[in-house]
Amino acid sequence: MIFAGIDAGSRTVKAVLFDADGMKIIGSGIKDQGVRQSDLADSLLNDVIAKAGKSRKDICRVVATGYGRNSIELADTTITEITCHACGVSHWMPEARTVVDIGGQDSKVLRLEVGGRVRDFVMNDRCAAGTGRFLEVVASRLGVRLGDLGEMSVRSDKAAAISSMCVVFAETEIIGLMASGETPENIVAGVQMSITSRISSMAGRDIVEPVIFTGGVALIPGMDKALEKAIDRKVVISREPQLTGALGAAILAARNADGI
Amino acid sequence: MNLDPAQITLVEWGRRFGELKQSGLPEPSYGGPLERHLLDGDFRLAKLKFDNSQAALNLWNFLLTEEDRLYADRLVGRKIIGTMKDLGTIPVMAYSLPDVTAFYPDGTWWAPCVMELSSGVLAVADSLGLDESFCPVRAMLGAFVSKAHFPNPDLLVCSVGATCDDFSAIAQRLNGIGYPILWWEILHRRKPESGDVPVQLPGGFQCTADQVLFVENELLRVKKAIESLAGVAITNDKLTDGIRAANEVRAILRELRRMVFTADVCPLPALEMLVAEMLVIHFCSDRKESVIVLSGLLAEVRRRILLGRGLFGSDAVRVFWVNPVADLRVMNLLEECGGRICGTDYLFCHAFDAIPEDVEPMKALAMMALADPMVGSAGDRSQRICNDIKYFGAEAVVISRIPGASHCATEGPIIADTVREQLGLPVVEIEVPPLADAMLPALNTRLTALIETVKAGRIQV
Repeated sequence: MIFAGIDAGSRTVKAVLFDADGMKIIGSGIKDQGVRQSDLADSLLNDVIAKAGKSRKDICRVVATGYGRNSIELADTTITEITCHACGVSHWMPEARTVVDIGGQDSKVLRLEVGGRVRDFVMNDRCAAGTGRFLEVVASRLGVRLGDLGEMSVRSDKAAAISSMCVVFAETEIIGLMASGETPENIVAGVQMSITSRISSMAGRDIVEPVIFTGGVALIPGMDKALEKAIDRKVVISREPQLTGALGAAILAARNADGI
Repeated sequence: MNLDPAQITLVEWGRRFGELKQSGLPEPSYGGPLERHLLDGDFRLAKLKFDNSQAALNLWNFLLTEEDRLYADRLVGRKIIGTMKDLGTIPVMAYSLPDVTAFYPDGTWWAPCVMELSSGVLAVADSLGLDESFCPVRAMLGAFVSKAHFPNPDLLVCSVGATCDDFSAIAQRLNGIGYPILWWEILHRRKPESGDVPVQLPGGFQCTADQVLFVENELLRVKKAIESLAGVAITNDKLTDGIRAANEVRAILRELRRMVFTADVCPLPALEMLVAEMLVIHFCSDRKESVIVLSGLLAEVRRRILLGRGLFGSDAVRVFWVNPVADLRVMNLLEECGGRICGTDYLFCHAFDAIPEDVEPMKALAMMALADPMVGSAGDRSQRICNDIKYFGAEAVVISRIPGASHCATEGPIIADTVREQLGLPVVEIEVPPLADAMLPALNTRLTALIETVKAGRIQV
């Protein structure tokens, strides 16, 4: 039996097809987010289904998650990204005890019980500091592509100090750093440190290993090392970090477990 | 005319009011259709969901006509006292006299929500230098200046010392623009040490006899000022009667909280409970009527529990809520997400405890003031919260931050850590501004995730 999960994030929409009999992903896809989220999700899911050689009627159930979950009309039900990320990460790494998810618009730290159930969580969704949005701002200010930031940070010899905990003020600091001749590489590394220190302060003292890093920001080189330094724990990047939410949604669809 | 409990919109209340009228609804002097408050500018009501009982209608009408009562009191010559930063001490003293009304100017902090910013009080506060970096209670400053929400009081009393920094700044600004304030100092409560005479306070905290004596002397200054204003002495007998009457309100609310929070199926929604609890502070400017309103609510709750009727189903997640929200809509949201309120600490839970009647009345009031969780450490408050969570059997905790409020900047994390360590319950912290419309999706995610977390735990157990 095949189940689908859709993660309607702030920057991208992700879809996963999950074969519950084989307990494996049989298809997945990602599209940039847009105004008509529901149509985007519909078309993405159709693409993924076609690539997997299946048809819509093969899909038993669809669960939507993420920031835009309530606007996904094709979903049978919705479950929050907190529960879905926990489930998706636990599928890959059942031993995971902490999940750090940094997305485009929010970030969260999940504490998991043995068995993958969420014990507790903290979330930042009001302030762009501590989210991928900060990286977008710095990329735009430095005139580079978002995808190039990782390599730039790896070339940094000393991360620039960015003291503001607010992206708006930090942007002013970045302008000042550029004017004073600081290298773009060091500025990017400084922004990475700023994001991860925000996550560290949000997570508090109770960070139990293994710590798994998910979300689109986990794909940016250097972010995992910056996170390790900030929280003083070893950090493992999840398999398919962008897809953990959608995967969790698909698995929960298979469990037929509304709201859990 | 009894219906099954339900939450209904303002428009639905209009229809229900018509039906109740036809069936011979007995109305208090402040009664009438709930919709009429929209004409006064209470636009937020159109976005809230209300309990459908007649008792709830009376509660809302009582709340939303306080301003009318205050102006009517002024017309008949009653003395009006504004008791600021006071969660249930001076009002007890003031209502011991027959021709004195005490009200709570700080309560204007809900005006920007209820009136959806149309009141303009925040803009006035902004113009006086108290912008959104301060607690929304700065709305009070705007209300004094605009003179639109309550008559100018004959006496303004405000506690200072172990109180919120931001409120103190706001009150000092009010003082500075020409509103004389009688300040009284409340000490930071401390545990007795060797050589101190310990005093056991209501609610379980301890302090020293010296502290009680100090606060009692401060309250004596306020008592003299009230006597001078009213031209009548507050004798021990009068104050004892006043304490007894205040304890009647507190007893009703304790019972209401116990019944609502521990019932298998929720008999009364969070929003009505929040409004009801607020009455304990200053009786919504009419102590006798507050007893009638709360008794009606308690009777309705008893009736529903006896009939086994309630709202939200028996699987609703039992949530303990810490701190009041600036936007009332969020209380509805919790229930839409699958939760129900089972315990609260809206910063004045000490006001539900009985004022001691076996000590001198002024000493009893001083003890009560020192029992306020906010005049002690965040650790003290956390402990009381944990005790209440256990008592009411809550499964999760929401800590609602108030933007700009700085009673204790580190209090939220301290409460969250204590709850996690002592009780192992999931905790979520949220921040709710006076109008949270733009944040509702994000708040929805957090509250829903909390509900999901508890439900997943139930299945695993």
